[in-house]
Amino acid sequence: MHRLKTIIRLSLYDYVHERLLTICAVMGLAAILAPLLVLFGVKSGIINTMVDRLVKDPRNLEVSPIGSGRYSPEWFSIEGKLPEVAFLIPQTRSIAANMLLSDLENKRSYTLAVDLIPTDKGDPLLEKWGKIPNNNKEVVLSASAARKLNMQIGQIVTGRVGRSLAGKKEQVTIDLKLAAILPIEAFSRDAAFVRLDLLKATENYRDGFSSKLFSWPGKSPPAGTSDYPSFRLYARSIYDVSVLRDRLESQGLEIYTRAEEIEIVHSLDRSFSLIFKIIAIVAVFGYFASMASNILANVNRKKRHLGIAGLIGFSTKNIIWFPIVQAVATSMLGTGLATCLYLISELVINRLFADYISKGEYVCKISINHIMIAFILTVFLSILASGYAAFQVAKIEPSKVIRDI
Amino acid sequence: MSEKNNQAVEMDKYIEPSNKSENQSPVVFQLSGVTKSWPSEQGFDLTVPKLTIHRGEKVALVGFSGCGKSTLLDLLAMVLRPDNVEEFTFVTLDHKRLNVAEAWRQKNMNKLAQARMRSIGYVLQTGGLLPFLSVYDNIGLSLYGLGQPAQEAVKKLAVKLGIERHLQKYPMQLSVGERQRVAIARAMAHEPSVVIADEPTASLDPINATEVMGIFTQIADEKDVTFIVATHEWERVKELGFRRIKFSLDRDPADGTVRAKATG
Repeated sequence: MHRLKTIIRLSLYDYVHERLLTICAVMGLAAILAPLLVLFGVKSGIINTMVDRLVKDPRNLEVSPIGSGRYSPEWFSIEGKLPEVAFLIPQTRSIAANMLLSDLENKRSYTLAVDLIPTDKGDPLLEKWGKIPNNNKEVVLSASAARKLNMQIGQIVTGRVGRSLAGKKEQVTIDLKLAAILPIEAFSRDAAFVRLDLLKATENYRDGFSSKLFSWPGKSPPAGTSDYPSFRLYARSIYDVSVLRDRLESQGLEIYTRAEEIEIVHSLDRSFSLIFKIIAIVAVFGYFASMASNILANVNRKKRHLGIAGLIGFSTKNIIWFPIVQAVATSMLGTGLATCLYLISELVINRLFADYISKGEYVCKISINHIMIAFILTVFLSILASGYAAFQVAKIEPSKVIRDI
Repeated sequence: MSEKNNQAVEMDKYIEPSNKSENQSPVVFQLSGVTKSWPSEQGFDLTVPKLTIHRGEKVALVGFSGCGKSTLLDLLAMVLRPDNVEEFTFVTLDHKRLNVAEAWRQKNMNKLAQARMRSIGYVLQTGGLLPFLSVYDNIGLSLYGLGQPAQEAVKKLAVKLGIERHLQKYPMQLSVGERQRVAIARAMAHEPSVVIADEPTASLDPINATEVMGIFTQIADEKDVTFIVATHEWERVKELGFRRIKFSLDRDPADGTVRAKATG
């Protein structure tokens, strides 16, 4: 035990004594490892930011049908229960799903035609950017609609629905409280998000029927439930989008999703990972070879000294640690230096791109775990690289080397 | 095999009269029928028919270079594996009989290394110091390996050898003579029972050589150390009370192999 401890000490003394070679070896390692860390950091930073944006943006979760179809209430109850579905709500005929909005309290009254979009509890779009209407008399406006009407949250907007029945023009109005305004990135068209009841009543009124709920006049609506021509559907996660798309397409529907954009990010991730792996493998092989040759050269130069250690009475199983200790020291210092260089680069890169990213997003970032993995791998590789040198050390016969000059 | 070679050139039959009585001191080395050959284009082999070295004895292996002195020293230091052995026993510092022949057969190098570290000190002709260690650490090396305190032993020897002001220096900063003194201190620091020295003063000037050899022998005497030294200058050690081991050389006319025999 004392002998092993002494050899480790000797190895470290020699390591310090040969400062120049030591510094070169440490910098050589850092020169390979630091760019790899930066590359990996940029790769994972960019990909994670892109994935984060995808995940956090409900629009990417939307699965929307193209054109209109016939979807029964049974269909809604079946599809709505799928584990991949986060939110599903029927949509009425688009031709009837609109309303004229105006601000009656404003003297410069401006009338705006908006699309009516059904919403309810669990609507990811409104949960992220707005507020779900509490009742049938609340409305959430898109940014453009609110701007054109010049309205603030809490104000009352009046909606008008018209019909012509047997050549006679009729209309009803309803006062809606503005519950929230969506930002422009959430929805770009002029639209009002309201409860499905209001949409159904609007559609019925246009068809000449009355609405008990809103006290609108007309014929009694037909009994029973009817099919819907469309729906709004949101997947639970971006990974569920393509699953739902495939499922609905297999039902013969034509579907629009952002699955392609999601797939682009995934394939970007795969390509980046592959490129990183290729570079890493080449670098690791190069480093492994240079490290192994360095250690071997050092051992050859030190043959006589190691032989003398043997002559003094240190046994082979102690002396083989001489190159291994130095290799491990190099890998530790090299990884440390590479980490410092990486952290500086990370700071610079993230500052450089600060304008393009929002708070909490990074262009370059790796976790402590990744640095630990790099560290453990480097130590492991260095031990492997010193293996042949240790084998050479074991073959040293003191009687053959102690008289070398 | 060369025992029967009556063409052997007897280099010297003289045995030191000052040699201690062989019957009184315990044995340290007991060798018989030990051979080592170096098969090369110019073959060389060494035979030690019988060699007994006692505790506290001073033994000089005398002969010109190439006569097999270093080979015998390395055999005794247990760093060179003999080819044939009838008997090779080493009695360690704590009086344990180590069957060196058996340990070599079993390739138990660790056992030999352990015995070497505890019981033997070795001084080479030049250097042999580790350049990356200070003089202090070089001297203390065996003590570190044995896990023993070094400070007092190192200081004492340094004073005795006149190198105490160099303790913090590195070997590169010392003269050849000073380095040799450091090497002697290192061989002695752990108080071994045997000190082996291979031409320890050959690289020094005559005045320095006499002085260093004198101090070396004096320390060995004080500590009752078995002192085995190889030298080509019998005159330098004759006065110091060494027993002489002589080497006889003989060239085999058939293959040109030089056969050496150590006796005494």
